Amino acid sequence: MSRLALIVMAAAVACSPTGAPAQVSATRHSTVDAAASQGAREVLAQVRPAVIQIKSFFGSNTAQASHGTGFAVAEGGVFMTNYHVVAEKVQHPDKYRLEYRAAGGETGAIAVLAVDVRHDLAVVRATGYAPTPLRLEASPPVKGERAFAVGFPLDVGLTITEGISNGKIDDAFEARIHYSGALNAGMSGGPALNAAGEVIGVNVAGYRFEQLVSFLVPAAHAQGLRDRSLDPEPNADLKKEIATQLHAHSADLFAALEGPMQTQAVSGYSLPAKLAPFINCNASGEPMSEDPVQTVRVNCFAKAGLFLQRGLSSGDLRYSHYVLSTDKLDAWRFANRFSGLTLAVGNFGSPRHVGPYACEDRVVGLRGFDASMLVCARRYRRLEGLYDFTVRVSSLNGSKQGFASHLDMYGVEFDAGMKFIRRYVEVMEWKP
Amino acid sequence: MSAETILVESLDGRGRVQWRERFTLDEARRTLTVGRSIHADVTLDDPHAAALHASLEIAPDGQVLANDLGSMNGLVVCGKRYRNTGAVALADNMLRVGRTRLRIRTGQELLDPERPDELHPTSLLRHPAWLAGFAALAGCMQLIYAKWLAAPRDLAEGIVTSLGIAILTVGVWVAVWALLSRVVQGEWRWPRHAAICLGVVATLVAVIGLVDLGWFAFALPPWNSRNLWIGAIALGCALYLHLTCASNLTARRAAQIACVVPLLLALGSQWLQERYRVRDVNHIGARTRIYPPEVRLRGSETVEDYFKRTATLRSLADKRLSDALANDPAYDDK
Repeated sequence: MSRLALIVMAAAVACSPTGAPAQVSATRHSTVDAAASQGAREVLAQVRPAVIQIKSFFGSNTAQASHGTGFAVAEGGVFMTNYHVVAEKVQHPDKYRLEYRAAGGETGAIAVLAVDVRHDLAVVRATGYAPTPLRLEASPPVKGERAFAVGFPLDVGLTITEGISNGKIDDAFEARIHYSGALNAGMSGGPALNAAGEVIGVNVAGYRFEQLVSFLVPAAHAQGLRDRSLDPEPNADLKKEIATQLHAHSADLFAALEGPMQTQAVSGYSLPAKLAPFINCNASGEPMSEDPVQTVRVNCFAKAGLFLQRGLSSGDLRYSHYVLSTDKLDAWRFANRFSGLTLAVGNFGSPRHVGPYACEDRVVGLRGFDASMLVCARRYRRLEGLYDFTVRVSSLNGSKQGFASHLDMYGVEFDAGMKFIRRYVEVMEWKP
Repeated sequence: MSAETILVESLDGRGRVQWRERFTLDEARRTLTVGRSIHADVTLDDPHAAALHASLEIAPDGQVLANDLGSMNGLVVCGKRYRNTGAVALADNMLRVGRTRLRIRTGQELLDPERPDELHPTSLLRHPAWLAGFAALAGCMQLIYAKWLAAPRDLAEGIVTSLGIAILTVGVWVAVWALLSRVVQGEWRWPRHAAICLGVVATLVAVIGLVDLGWFAFALPPWNSRNLWIGAIALGCALYLHLTCASNLTARRAAQIACVVPLLLALGSQWLQERYRVRDVNHIGARTRIYPPEVRLRGSETVEDYFKRTATLRSLADKRLSDALANDPAYDDK
């Protein structure tokens, strides 16, 4: 991935009760300079008491392992934050502990009530601190509307940033709001607000090397999770709940990929192209290369991965095609170069999370050509019924051209994964 | 008494002659004395022998007789010790004086018939320099072909570098065996060891290439340890030839070593690889090299058949995980 998504965590302090929305709306149509600053000050004053800093500690250490932000969403000390802020506590409850720090200096323990890994949300309960909850605005924000993000960037103190809400991203697999404003590490889980002080989303991520391209989880999802967490009989086993959500994510991912598979023609081969709107594809080559073998690379990725814990993301899909051709090399030398593409290792995984691969490697007849096909599967250790797949397909029909296609899927259901693999290879065709 | 020539040989623990002396027994000298003294006919450098320890004579029937001359340790003949017991006939002409083993040979001894000069494997090395040269040429051709196949931009540089590394590696290997030859056999035998090393390496590379090609041509399923076992066989051949050339081991003993050592090495390597693969959850196994499509001799299977075959993949993946957890405690970090 060329761009690294920066997971940002935030913190906040509280000082006073919620202010009146009417005060904020007075600044909405003012000029940018003075009025924007005025609006930010008022919004911050309004939300300050409801925002807490959430710190994670490893073992009995007093130095924090990570920190983020939370904001009150229900009476009785119920706060919303990002799942990734509390992920280590959820995955290793015996090894991590969570504490909050409010604006007035109050501190206490935090318990996780519910999680939604698909939208990177978690609901927690703070012991001994119950400010007035913020109002969630479930309807999606208008594109171009002024917005604010509150959090605790880089542990330097409560901060509010001002930006523009660019509405829901059209081609995201899981709904996200594009916020053109600064989100830095430490602001995760903090509220993103409109000028009326209503929560329109939850700070979740931004790009490290881009300019003010940040993302929010729409407030509607936060509202749904909050309501579920207030159920008198909540699901006590959070890990089971996460596994259930991952299965649902996997099913939705493959459901979104159903239907006729789009293909593209490269050097006589018809290969899977952009299979869904949420899949990003880019192609590259070297037109002026002195290399006797010309290579066209097509990389596609679904951007559907879910963060589960440090070193473990799941529920994603990516594929690449490497199409080679030559008019300078003979068949033996070309085949030797082509062999190098078949030796790629499987996708990255850790023995802490997955088992070894089991593979099946054969020569298979596809549409108009034979190909060497390898399908490997490995099982997740603690996520029942979920598997990683690695697929390698290399054409064997050309003396002067060939392709290698790599498909990797993370944390998906076995049957659905195999079904997709079959569709993926059956659509490949040699059409000289 | 007519003059009789006898040969006294001192043998080491493995039966090899350390030194030998020739004597003539006649009317003037009927016996031969053995001991540490310079007055003994056969002087031994053995602290367990007396100054004049024993005397040797030849009976009229041609048998060699030994007499203890009053030594403390006596004589040892056929594993039995004799002290002042008079003349003892040497059944197999062997005698121990102190800790020195002596073999007494006379003109009446019966010699084994001449052995035929069989063409056993080392005989292939009768012209080692030619063989080494041919193998070196074959190896160079293979190396140049491999470099040419990779189509680098600077072919000459690649060939020279690889040749340099190959020459250095072969040189060290041959030098070790030549040194062993010099120590054990008293000869360096450079051409023979060079011929063995180069011949085995050239053959190994050719076999690996042909097996690769055959694997692709017949679309056989990949076998991770294929080259490991081919290498083990090559090592066994090289060991056998080097050992028979450089040491005094019998062909049988050399063959035993040449089987056991590569087998142990191959099994150990395979075990290590398996352990490594269990922990390397990203390993997807070795893949068959690709050759031009004209080489293929066997057709493909259908997509339907392939996906029927993959029906077991889930249970296999489940089993690999449970095996990894059960057999390797280090795998589980809980």
